[in-house]
Amino acid sequence: MSVLTTAAPGAPVVELDLAELRRDPYPCYAELRRTAPLAWVPSVGRHLLTRYEDIVRAEKLPEVFSSREEGSLLLRTVGPNLLREDDPEHRRLRAAAEPPTRPRQVRDLWAGAFERTAHELLDRIEGRGEADLIADFAEPLAAANLALVLGLRNASADDIADWSRAMMAGNGNYADDPDVWLRAEQATRAIEEAVAETAEAVRREPDGSVISSMVHAAEPVELAEIQNNVKVIIGGGVNEPRDVFGVGAWALLRRPEALERVLRDPACWKRVFEETARWISPIGMYPRQLTEDHEIAGVTLPAGSRVALVIASGNRDESVFERADEFDLDRPHRPHLAFGGGPHFCMGAWVARHEVSAIAWPLVFSRLKGLRPVEGADDRMDGWVFRGLTSLHVTWQAP
Amino acid sequence: MPTVIFRSPDGTERKVTAESGTVLMQAAVANGVEGIVAECGGNASCATCHVYVAEDRSELVGPPGDVEDEMLDFTAAERRPTSRLSCQIQLSDALDGLVVHVPEEQV
Repeated sequence: MSVLTTAAPGAPVVELDLAELRRDPYPCYAELRRTAPLAWVPSVGRHLLTRYEDIVRAEKLPEVFSSREEGSLLLRTVGPNLLREDDPEHRRLRAAAEPPTRPRQVRDLWAGAFERTAHELLDRIEGRGEADLIADFAEPLAAANLALVLGLRNASADDIADWSRAMMAGNGNYADDPDVWLRAEQATRAIEEAVAETAEAVRREPDGSVISSMVHAAEPVELAEIQNNVKVIIGGGVNEPRDVFGVGAWALLRRPEALERVLRDPACWKRVFEETARWISPIGMYPRQLTEDHEIAGVTLPAGSRVALVIASGNRDESVFERADEFDLDRPHRPHLAFGGGPHFCMGAWVARHEVSAIAWPLVFSRLKGLRPVEGADDRMDGWVFRGLTSLHVTWQAP
Repeated sequence: MPTVIFRSPDGTERKVTAESGTVLMQAAVANGVEGIVAECGGNASCATCHVYVAEDRSELVGPPGDVEDEMLDFTAAERRPTSRLSCQIQLSDALDGLVVHVPEEQV
């Protein structure tokens, strides 16, 4: 089956400006849901699927909506990996990598270290009375926690964050900029070396990490497979917890009543997490390629068609979430799509939930007294494939 | 073909008939049973297809496996002695007439 890089017959063609999507994709999504829930968007080179029910339907048909997308920038950046595989190949790799990310492992193996790292980062900034909570806290926390869970003791939090940025740039290098490819290649080579060294060490002495789990998996996993999958996990594993942290903190700092309520009842942090991930999903869309002709949203897509499941749009679908554009901790509960669905359901979901809602938010809001946003700071949301705050400038009463 | 009854928190019931060998979660999703979310599609990694098995058949349905047991500690609604993930329950003729209660929350 060859990949089709044109509109399916009968699919509406909608021109969207990528810069506009990066700035704020939600008005475009609302219009697409209303007028063209399956639309060919030339600047993206895919059909965008934007309604909740259609996305859920597609996720439940992984044999039709295949993760094996030809010509994917992610494949070029990191090589074959579990995100771009279907079962049973995907299942073999997932089963090997997953055990350290399950909730009990998170609680028993990683939570203590996550908490120590959060305290260390707060110790560094507490006396200053001001910080950018993204650069000074959320990103280094996510990177350090990721290094720990992966088992990369030979990499610093800065290494992890730099590698992640370089690979994400490659993954979005639609302009084919050679400098971007060079940086991505340097990052992936450094990861390959770090993983090879770690794999050798945990072969002798298992440590419960993802690399250790893959080295000792029941169904054998090659070193190159471990390396490529660690690259993918580093690519996404920093920005997702970082962005949920930032957006949730930003939302609460602008809603003092909601913040007060959460501080009175810490059980609400879980709800803050789920509503934040729904409201501004850290991953906005992911690609699929049709294995056979299939009708969805009123259009028959031929085999080989490229589709983007726009989960950020599904999470704002008014037919499912009333006043969907509002951040509301009291909304009637409906499951959001931010972690994806089906066999590719986010492997890091339990890690992110714990590190952000049980550790990062409660510690930041309890240790930094009188926390408030810096008025006039240029803190903005950016991105549509991935979306989060570029910075979050805050002040507090320094002790 | 066994028939299973899903009872919602508000007391309404939904009867679903499925082939023996079908997984309970799949039977629920295929028939649009409210409250069975099943985000991960049956891989025991999301804990959103939680059900309470009626006590009279709980022994017949059996205990959760290791991974399922772990996930059950983290369900949105409280875990009870008869809690199971419906993606891990395989239907058989012996389970004909099984009643399962759907919890208030799944995420």
